[in-house]
Amino acid sequence: MDLFINLTLNGLATGMLIFLLAAGLTLIFGLMDVLNFAHGGLFAWGAYSGLWIYSETNSFFIGIIGAVITGFVLGILTEKWIIKPVYGNHVQQILITLGLMLVLSEMLKVIWGPNQMMASPPDYLKGSWELGGIIIIKYRVFIILVGLLIFAGVQYVLKKTKIGLVVRAGVMNKEMVQALGINIQKVFMYVFMMGAGMAALGGVLLGPYSGVIHAGMGMEFAILAFIVVVIGGMGNFKGSVLAAILVGLSGSFMAYYVPDLSLAVNMLLMAIVLIIRPQGLFGAKG
Amino acid sequence: MNDLLKLEHVETHIGQYHILQGVSFEVQKGKVTVLLGRNGAGKTTTLRTIMGLNPASKGIITFKDEPVQSLPTYTIAKKGIGYVPEDQGIFAGLTVEENMKVAIQTENEQTAERMEYILNLFPDLKKFWKKQGGNLSGGQKQMLSIARAYVNENELLLIDEPSKGLAPIVVEKVMESILQMKDQTTIVLVEQNFMMASTIGDCFYIIDDGRTVSHGTMQQLKEDEEMKRKYLGIA
Amino acid sequence: MTAVILVAAAFLVLLPFVYESRNLFILLTQIFVFSIFAMSYDLLLGFTGIVSFGHAMFFGIGAYSMGIFMKKFEPTMGYFLLAVLVVIILTAVVSFIVGLLTLRLKSHFYAMLTLALSGLFLVLAEKWRTMTHGNDGFTFRVPEQFIDRTHFYLLCLVLVVAVFLLLKRFTNSPLGRVLQAIRENEQRTESLGYQVLHYKIAASVVSGILAGIAGILYAISLRFVNTSVFSMDITLDALLMTIIGGVGTLVGAIIGAGLIEFAHDWLTALAKEHVIFERWIIFFGIIYIVVVMFFPKGIVGTLSSLSWKRKKQQAVKKEEKAAG
Repeated sequence: MDLFINLTLNGLATGMLIFLLAAGLTLIFGLMDVLNFAHGGLFAWGAYSGLWIYSETNSFFIGIIGAVITGFVLGILTEKWIIKPVYGNHVQQILITLGLMLVLSEMLKVIWGPNQMMASPPDYLKGSWELGGIIIIKYRVFIILVGLLIFAGVQYVLKKTKIGLVVRAGVMNKEMVQALGINIQKVFMYVFMMGAGMAALGGVLLGPYSGVIHAGMGMEFAILAFIVVVIGGMGNFKGSVLAAILVGLSGSFMAYYVPDLSLAVNMLLMAIVLIIRPQGLFGAKG
Repeated sequence: MNDLLKLEHVETHIGQYHILQGVSFEVQKGKVTVLLGRNGAGKTTTLRTIMGLNPASKGIITFKDEPVQSLPTYTIAKKGIGYVPEDQGIFAGLTVEENMKVAIQTENEQTAERMEYILNLFPDLKKFWKKQGGNLSGGQKQMLSIARAYVNENELLLIDEPSKGLAPIVVEKVMESILQMKDQTTIVLVEQNFMMASTIGDCFYIIDDGRTVSHGTMQQLKEDEEMKRKYLGIA
Repeated sequence: MTAVILVAAAFLVLLPFVYESRNLFILLTQIFVFSIFAMSYDLLLGFTGIVSFGHAMFFGIGAYSMGIFMKKFEPTMGYFLLAVLVVIILTAVVSFIVGLLTLRLKSHFYAMLTLALSGLFLVLAEKWRTMTHGNDGFTFRVPEQFIDRTHFYLLCLVLVVAVFLLLKRFTNSPLGRVLQAIRENEQRTESLGYQVLHYKIAASVVSGILAGIAGILYAISLRFVNTSVFSMDITLDALLMTIIGGVGTLVGAIIGAGLIEFAHDWLTALAKEHVIFERWIIFFGIIYIVVVMFFPKGIVGTLSSLSWKRKKQQAVKKEEKAAG
């Protein structure tokens, strides 16, 4: 029982981190047909900048805020300088975002050195609780809560605000949205910024969770996020959270029972989805 | 000059295809101008070019005495043009209410009034207010699309084949409502259904092979059997 | 262009007989290996318009298969050829399956699936320790015919020319023309009655096999193989080389390979002067972004369109003179 709960919590926590990365990816894709291969780079930048600020200020909270702001800024710059100039050309777009990924992760090594960095949670999130003989690690619960909070927040914005409505409409038919007098480029910039911020948040939360961060982790998590985006359906926000939890849980349980196959299982899941339901497991776009 | 909209020698390329090769026409305020012509003649592209969805590569488009041909779509729309595309462009996953909400640019008394007017015109929309756009019938989708284009204070409506794929009885209903809206706004209508076009329209332009080839009042067209046969294939 | 390549090749054949520098030959061999790899990538990206982010997996399959055969069996010519056969079959099967799964979908899917799959192969190489010795990799002996560096250098050179000519023919063949038509306008090619999917899969299989062969040569030249052959860096190398050199030209891939391997050699030496040169790849990353954005034809394409323009201008001037 102890083991089961711990593996579940572990899977949920990992799932939430993947979700933070995948949510932006899927919305950016749904709205503008842009698949951002540099998204993992933003994730890694969140991790490094957040950890750095955390160690400078001794406040994990400020570190998180700093990481998210870093994500926002990088997101705006990326959208403006990298995505927009090649907008409409898919091949160019895919190529250029991967180039950006390379530059972003090399920049990390230039600034913070090529070696991995240690990270640990702040005192108030260290350690664990004991509930009826079951040990629950605090930081995992923290990640799950933050993830749920972000999910609820984004869901609220999408469902209850005008801009959220426009985003949902844009995913369905972006031409019509413009014909109704809405500047979708501007909306897209906000979405891109938010997506980058969420990715950076995921990055900074990962640090203390895994204990170390390195420049390559952006790509590792991006691969999981791509799997999630395919399984959840491209452009499907709710699908992305369900798929992220699925991938997180299967990763966690597989890693315990058959560690060598954990990535393979997720890959297999993605391959099956690609064969039978390329639009994703969880319903149509939207 | 009471031309609300004017196209002068407009040409449009889509990819490597030269679709519009010289479209010129004028739309007078308060009138319904009908664009006629065979399938593939370029009527839909003409509307899309006005909206900036397929930008013109040559020529001038003037709306309210202002050139708009190089503006982005959303700016053109904001200047007061409502667009009802051929496929209606309903946001399938949004409810009728949400579809209307996306369209409203600023909520104020005018839009509230216009909303009320249009919902009285299309009571079905009120009835299915919370229903998803994708689940509406073809006629209801058409009504929603027209309502969406109308709800802002648009001086011009571009309506692309409202009768397409609808049952005759529904066509009549849509036609009646457009007739009612006539004294509220100016309309450019693309229509294959000659009965509908001739009932609603004040004047016409015929587009053939990407060019405007002929125009006149609807009355003239009704009497000109030769023209009808040549360009419209009706005897 | 073919003539230039052949002259350059002739020069490179004679080089070992007049000049002796072990380092230079190792570097040139490396350039040849990556030329083949980059050309195989160009067939996909430049000629068919398919973006793969997992080309390293074919390279890695080639390198590991050869390494394992040489290590577990005897380093003889017979086992070498057997390994080549295995690589061809493996890469063909993998590229066929990947292509079948994703090439009917939007271009994003192929990029994503190949990226993820090559990640999977990387993990496989790390975890299957009995075969691969994990991250550390393993060294092995090579057949005696390849022990002499000059011989191997010449073999690689011959293969570069052979692959170049083969791909030249291939892309000019009716099949190659269909591929280019797909790149230009997929829907129209489909509407002309071509089974676009079949052609795309054919391109990806040929490309996969050639990448596997490049991997074989890479392993033989190093006499060592580790997980880095499956890493993203290898795919990035192919991307940088073809994009910067010029896509859809084949020659661009060779020039790109030369450029990057030279720069790699030169800039890592400079790393002693300043650490920034340890991160030399960042410069290429930036150049790459600039090229994608402003010179999508790369070095070769941009130069040839410039010279074409100049010729045209001269022709116009001549005409004007004649008319005047």
